[in-house]
Amino acid sequence: MGSIDPPRAEQNGTASAVVADPDQKPAAGGAMPPPAAVKHSNGTAAEPDAPTKRRRMSVLPLEVGTRVMCRWRDGKYHPVKVIERRKLNPGDPNDYEYYVHYTEFNRRLDEWVKLEQLDLDSVETVVDEKVEDKVTGLKMTRHQKRKIDETHVEGHEELDAASLREHEEFTKVKNIATIELGRYEIETWYFSPFPPEYNDCSKLYFCEFCLNFMKRKEQLQRHMKKCDLKHPPGDEIYRSGTLSMFEVDGKKNKVYGQNLCYLAKLFLDHKTLYYDVDLFLFYVLCECDDRGCHMVGYFSKEKHSEESYNLACILTLPPYQRKGYGKFLIAFSYELSKKEGKVGTPERPLSDLGLLSYKGYWTRVLLDILKKHKGNISIKELSDMTAIKADDILNTLQSLDLIQYRKGQHVICADPKVLDRHLKAAGRGGLEVDVSKLIWTPYREQG
Amino acid sequence: MSRLSFRPRPLDIHKKLPIVKSVKDFEDDDTPTTSATRSSQLSRLSSSIDFDNHASTGNEVNPVPSSKKVASEIPTPEYVVVDTYERDYSRTFSQPTSYLRGRGARAELGEFIEYDLDNEDEDWLEEFNQEKKILSSERFESLLFRFEVLDHKARERAGVLTTALGSPIPVLLQLDAASEAVQAQSIKYSIFHSVYSYWKEKRERWQKPILRRLQPPPPVNDTNPYNVFRPREKAHRLHTRRMQRRENNVQSFEKLRQVRRNLEQAKIIMEALIKREERKREAMETEVSLQRLQMKYKNEMELVDDSLALPGFPPVSSKFGSTEEEFVDSDEIANFRPRSRSSATQSLPYSNSNFVSAPPGSFKQESRRRPVPNTWLHKMDPLEPILLFTKPLVPEKLAAAGIVPPANLSKSFTTPTVNKFRGRIGRGGRIIFDRWNPLLHSPIDFGSSSYVP
Repeated sequence: MGSIDPPRAEQNGTASAVVADPDQKPAAGGAMPPPAAVKHSNGTAAEPDAPTKRRRMSVLPLEVGTRVMCRWRDGKYHPVKVIERRKLNPGDPNDYEYYVHYTEFNRRLDEWVKLEQLDLDSVETVVDEKVEDKVTGLKMTRHQKRKIDETHVEGHEELDAASLREHEEFTKVKNIATIELGRYEIETWYFSPFPPEYNDCSKLYFCEFCLNFMKRKEQLQRHMKKCDLKHPPGDEIYRSGTLSMFEVDGKKNKVYGQNLCYLAKLFLDHKTLYYDVDLFLFYVLCECDDRGCHMVGYFSKEKHSEESYNLACILTLPPYQRKGYGKFLIAFSYELSKKEGKVGTPERPLSDLGLLSYKGYWTRVLLDILKKHKGNISIKELSDMTAIKADDILNTLQSLDLIQYRKGQHVICADPKVLDRHLKAAGRGGLEVDVSKLIWTPYREQG
Repeated sequence: MSRLSFRPRPLDIHKKLPIVKSVKDFEDDDTPTTSATRSSQLSRLSSSIDFDNHASTGNEVNPVPSSKKVASEIPTPEYVVVDTYERDYSRTFSQPTSYLRGRGARAELGEFIEYDLDNEDEDWLEEFNQEKKILSSERFESLLFRFEVLDHKARERAGVLTTALGSPIPVLLQLDAASEAVQAQSIKYSIFHSVYSYWKEKRERWQKPILRRLQPPPPVNDTNPYNVFRPREKAHRLHTRRMQRRENNVQSFEKLRQVRRNLEQAKIIMEALIKREERKREAMETEVSLQRLQMKYKNEMELVDDSLALPGFPPVSSKFGSTEEEFVDSDEIANFRPRSRSSATQSLPYSNSNFVSAPPGSFKQESRRRPVPNTWLHKMDPLEPILLFTKPLVPEKLAAAGIVPPANLSKSFTTPTVNKFRGRIGRGGRIIFDRWNPLLHSPIDFGSSSYVP
């Protein structure tokens, strides 16, 4: 998939992207190089249609807030908004690259693009007022506020306007574009507040065991020679085949916990790194081979949650997504809750991917019970059986239209055919959690 | 979403809900008219299933099934395999049969060199080495790590360990102390000195330890989102950031001072209030004792009056006529008065029901001449507080209500009150309406002597 992915190719190293090979671009665009892109690729060369050129010169460099069409990695043009720009070559006044937000897509696809990816004929000259006024910082017009509300609804429901604005302002530009973690080089999705010493680089090299991060490959290689870890630094609490789960106490392994948070934030929009990791337990899922235990994903959990959260953050690393690991992690979090004898619910807001996985899990678990159950059942009983919070059960069943109001009382409609269709829609259950292989006691404060 | 035309009762999670296994069950027990709604429900069900199918294939939860475009928003994860991976990571791991147990943190284990050279260090080292192998990067790393740890220990010993990031953290490790501590590593002093100078320069430029583990967390009240991993005390800290801002600073001090001022003012007001109430009580007591005195005088006056008719009572010097006369025990008087009247009524002309026209003087005199019934005089307890809470009565208001104050027997003989008997003021100041026999024009429930059922 690298061939249809010009943005990523550039992102891999911003330094090298400055001398981007002009020949490579049309090729990367695939079989259908859009005419506009070809035009722009040769820059100041003779231009047949003068109006276009004149227009182009007048708009360059593009202002922050400009709306324009941009060629994405699918080779097609999508509307974008310029979020930020930076100079590439100090000598050339128009030599900028632009950080754009694809207005159709989630923020995780925001990226730095080169001028030749932009279709300058489509530039809308109306620049959002005050966006370029960076001095005002957090001050935004009502118009912009509304726009943010409109364009970023999903997952933001529980944030008030002020914190949302703050969030968007501080995280609008991704700082790290790619990371190397073990076997994989992965594109990041969101901003992560790495220490200021890491501000000057766009690629980080993570040790896949202790999750220390470095700026250069040689540093990582030297680190790998001395790194004594082959698995997360906690206790293994589950092992089934090559799959292992480790419990890491954030207090005992502070640096590891912090590293994990920095890493996870690159893929989670609304994760907060505000508080220290002391109060969390990290459950790190690994695939093990003769090189060690390779992190696949993790979830974190408060040691003591007053709101009955049984999960704070959950992440499956991109190379392992779509393989059922996320569902495994969710199921695992509920198995822990069952062992604790508590009901639990994930901390909100859920991301789009998180919500999808959770809905699937709740649907599968509840409908499996309803299919087999004889006689009447209350929501509370379902909750006790599954450790799923009653609210989540109610929402799930109601969203599936399974709770109906009949003759003055609520009934659960459990027509096997309907249930099967819902179950099919909810997808596979992913990897099963074999409870007999879970060796775990709930966290207890020492001393 | 328009579901049902009526709003169903909220669902009780403790209530057992019947599970309907077949949609047909609805048809069986529903009236024929609902079949339409049922089918619409079915179609809604199926449409929602279609939508779910779409959602799962597109991997997107989307309330609007038609917007296919958004479905591609969740991208296929982008990653490439690192070609040097197999070299970088050695195949030296073998899983034990038992579950792995975590060891202590690296810091506690001691020997592990936690520090990794950064770009700056590497660049410096390259320049320092100048193609010669003067100092290996491993050795350099180890030296920097040791300096960091030693400096941390030095600050610990000096008691200047900062708990929060914010102010520059000084370098306390001196060259000679450092060289002493790392003597074991056979290293040329000149190299050692260069490394130490480099470290010290870098350390002072950063103004914080270069080893991340030794850097203190940001202060709790810092709101900069770039500063992460603040400490949190579980028991006392509140959850929201806004509540977190309640810190031990000038603002909260001012707030508390304000609270204190308010409380002190409240205390002053309360003390004044207590004083006022005490005064009121004193005034009341004074009034009560005054009334007692007056009662005494009154009684004596009655006796004086009666003594005119009943010789044997000592005459009393009377100085009546004060307004306080109104406060005499009217109830007692009223109690005895009708009795006296019962005999008197016979003689009165019945020109109208009001008795207004009755010549009061004659009646008065007559009643007054009558012997006083024994009862009321003897029942009287001089210590019993009487008329404690009565206020001076406004005669106009009473007149407007048709209530006539009890006759001031001693003062005037002209008051026509006795016969106009609609309401009266009872003991304790209450207004009392006596039942009245319309035929006999006599009060009911008084003495049995006058009551004819």
